[in-house]
Amino acid sequence: MDALVQLSDVTKQYDDGKSPAVAHVAMEVGHGESVAVMGPSGSGKSTLLNLIAGLDRPSSGTVRVGNQEVSKLSETGAARFRRRQVGIIFQFFNLLDDMTVADNVLLPAQLAGVPAAKARARLDELLTALRIEKHRNTYPARLSGGERQRVAIARALVNRPPLLLADEPTGALDTATGDEIGELLLDLNSSGQTLILVTHDPALAARYAKRVIRIVDGQIATAAAPA
Amino acid sequence: MRAVRTALHGGLAGRRVQALAIGLVLLASAAASTLAAGLLSASNAPFDHAFAAQHGAQAALAVNAAKAPAGELAATARLAGVTAAAGPFAEATVTASAAIPDTPGVVFQAFTLAGRSSPGGPVDDIVLTAGHWPTGTGQIVVSRDLADTGSGASMSPGVVITLTGVPGTPKLTVVGVGVSVTNTADGWVLPAQMTSLGPPPTEQMLYRFASAGSGAAVNADVAAVTRALPAGSVAGAESWLAVKAQENENIVPWVPFLVTFGVIGLAMSVLIEVNVVSGAVTAGTRRIGVLKAVGFTPAQVVWVYVLQVAVPGVIGVAGGAVIANLLAAPVLGQTSQVFEVAPQSIPLSVDLTVPLAMLALAGIAALVPASRAGRLSATTAIATGRAPRPSHGYAAHRLLGEARLLPRPVTIGLAGPFARPGRMLVTLAAILFGALAVTFGTGLGTSLNRVGSDLALAGTEHVEIGLAGQSAQQPSPGQPSPGQPSAAAQQAGMAAVIRAQPGTLRYVTESDDRLGVTGMAGTASVTAFGGDASWIGYALISGHWYGAGGAVVNTSFLHATGKRMGDTFTLTDDGRAVTLKIAGEVFLPGNDPQVLTNLSSVTTLGPSGAGPQMFYVGLRPGVNAQSYQNAVFAKLGPGDYHQVGSGSGILLQIISGLVLILTLLLVVVAAFGVLNTVVLMTRERVHDLGVFKAVGMTPRQTITMVVTTVAATGLIAGLIAVPAGIALHHAILPIMGNGAQTDFPPAIYNVYSPAELVLLALTGLVIAVVSALGPASWAARTRTAIALRAE
Repeated sequence: MDALVQLSDVTKQYDDGKSPAVAHVAMEVGHGESVAVMGPSGSGKSTLLNLIAGLDRPSSGTVRVGNQEVSKLSETGAARFRRRQVGIIFQFFNLLDDMTVADNVLLPAQLAGVPAAKARARLDELLTALRIEKHRNTYPARLSGGERQRVAIARALVNRPPLLLADEPTGALDTATGDEIGELLLDLNSSGQTLILVTHDPALAARYAKRVIRIVDGQIATAAAPA
Repeated sequence: MRAVRTALHGGLAGRRVQALAIGLVLLASAAASTLAAGLLSASNAPFDHAFAAQHGAQAALAVNAAKAPAGELAATARLAGVTAAAGPFAEATVTASAAIPDTPGVVFQAFTLAGRSSPGGPVDDIVLTAGHWPTGTGQIVVSRDLADTGSGASMSPGVVITLTGVPGTPKLTVVGVGVSVTNTADGWVLPAQMTSLGPPPTEQMLYRFASAGSGAAVNADVAAVTRALPAGSVAGAESWLAVKAQENENIVPWVPFLVTFGVIGLAMSVLIEVNVVSGAVTAGTRRIGVLKAVGFTPAQVVWVYVLQVAVPGVIGVAGGAVIANLLAAPVLGQTSQVFEVAPQSIPLSVDLTVPLAMLALAGIAALVPASRAGRLSATTAIATGRAPRPSHGYAAHRLLGEARLLPRPVTIGLAGPFARPGRMLVTLAAILFGALAVTFGTGLGTSLNRVGSDLALAGTEHVEIGLAGQSAQQPSPGQPSPGQPSAAAQQAGMAAVIRAQPGTLRYVTESDDRLGVTGMAGTASVTAFGGDASWIGYALISGHWYGAGGAVVNTSFLHATGKRMGDTFTLTDDGRAVTLKIAGEVFLPGNDPQVLTNLSSVTTLGPSGAGPQMFYVGLRPGVNAQSYQNAVFAKLGPGDYHQVGSGSGILLQIISGLVLILTLLLVVVAAFGVLNTVVLMTRERVHDLGVFKAVGMTPRQTITMVVTTVAATGLIAGLIAVPAGIALHHAILPIMGNGAQTDFPPAIYNVYSPAELVLLALTGLVIAVVSALGPASWAARTRTAIALRAE
């Protein structure tokens, strides 16, 4: 399988003088794969996700996604990379409260300069697929947690990125809603979407990921198929 | 209390940028408002302030030294009603000439010299504006009025003055320039210098009295002193009220614009300060909720947040007061030149009151939102602090999101102000005031330049040459100094030289006299030109230049006589009369009624003085005025002429400089207000910034978005500021003109060209964009992962 994501000897050391958040990590994720990065709180799994998304830069090592070496991109380059190559889903949704569902979803397409008609068509498609079309003109504050996460997923997918990153996507949801979102992610992966899922929940990892990478104190402990 | 201290320490340490912003905005506000209040204070009865500060002489007596012994003079200091006295100082009125580089022929016909051992004393402190007090004979301190010779040259330390008509024609080196608030002398030397000039003809005594508030009171005081001295010994007495009236005439025109700038500065400072401080406290609402959740009472919460503003605030206002005083030195220095009083400083009362008031204002601005937040439940406060209040700005985002012609970062930025409409209104007001100051200041500067040009008759290329004996300092028509040729010989000689000069295109003579006007008290200054003078370039307020039997008159003449355009008036002199028709109103400020007419129209009144006192020479195109003048002077005898100039040009330059400084100061304050608003806004929305960047907003788009947030506000402020500034200009100018006893020609009002108006309309936008660039760049540089973690 071709690797979509490649990390080589990646270390992230913050300026606080503590031990590295991520140390000498090497990993690969193939096209269409569904991988869960698991570990306890503070283990460095979110940092790892930020490095793959180009939200942060490694202190050393290389991060490559597709043809691009993310770790060497400028701020502008990293922003352009995030528009097209990755979609990110956050635990607390990170929706913009003063924008409607439609405006939130359209934002990455508008920033990327996608023609309005094309972006609108994609919006319709995603809202229908994620069953939130009736909330098109609603503000996030009026939505339930599950609906907000669906909006976040739609926003992440609007530019058809090859890689979907999910940071504790069910962490702020009740069990039933979390299951719904999990199923949705599974469906996306089934249709070919590469997925890297960060979670501390072994059950979630077991259920929705085909491979689990365990990370402890910033270092990969094991990489295996879920139990 | 320990909990409050801990929370305060944590709040300050955790929000260093906010503390810095509060400190800086209070620094700027305190500096601007202290300076503004200092200006207002300087504009408020500046003569009275200077008079009090310099212990001005309420009466200056010139006493015949031969008739009143020094002991008797000194004894008058102990008379009832005399609260302070200085003197006797030997006094002499001499003729003098000064050798100023590149300035030929500066002659002083009546130069009052006083002998004083020091500048200080119980009455009439001489404030030195340059140099030092004489340390020996051969040195002189000249008055600032005299130092400005009126010919564009300045008599600064180092210049040598020769006293003529006294034994030995001593040469005195100027070692200082001083200001006497009541102009008690033109120059001061040590008493030993006066002794070397021979026995003094008069002694000068300076007094302050228990009661000297009215002319009658001063007259009674002077009469009491006169009675105490030998009969006939008092040669003259000058009341401070006469000096005050003269000084106020000079001051009044400039007060309105200083008051305008002062008021704008104060208003801006207050607005910006309230905006930033209340915004900073509002931004801390979530933390207030957390404090309440761990057991803080509402009162403790209020204490924490008021102190959180007060700590940087105290540092800020203290720094602001220091900066205001540093800035005040040049600004008030210029103001003092405008007001012709000794340099002033910001009064201590202003230094204390204004910063404390700004601090109190900041406290109140913090108290209101802190009290409101203190009353919220902990959960509500936390929720309020986490998310923007609902319904504000949402519709704007939605509508602007539909605007497909504009890039998305621009539409997001444009919707930004609607989230905090109150804050943006205050920011708009701050930019508006800044842009208003620019529009007003630009217009005023241009108007003053035009006033200067009109008064200097700069519309035509010409030179003005005065006959000797007609010194700019001490005009005494037809009375050349001993040894000089007769007036008629000078006129003929000068006319011949001017006619022979190749650069001469045309010339006209000017004769000046004071004549009575039927129906008007006092006399009018009448200037009669020997030939066509319409080319000289006098600016007309209305009407047209005079023809045969006509005249143009100034505003003061119209006010004094009650005449209008087209009316006739009668000039009288020694029983002779001539009637002239008013053809136009000429721009000649001042309360002296003035008439300009043709010499042929007034010949029936008899010869004016001893004939022409001045020649106006129009130059051929391409002829350099200075070269022409030098060539003419080279052909004239050394005592045949003097250079003519006007001190008003220097004064207008000073005022234009002052307008520029004050405008720039207000722009800086406005920019600072915008900067702090944008800092506050970006800090509040830092999490949203993280989201924008996470979904692909580039640094350039981030800068565009942040800058656009205030750009529209700036543009709107600029668009409002232009008509408001023009209205202010048109409102203040007549008040200034009223003070100068004149109307203005239309060209002095109509100073805004269409291109200028377009640029001025963009002032607000420029202030907003430039001020926002800093925080916008910070926002663009903020690491996305960190921004996403911010609450």
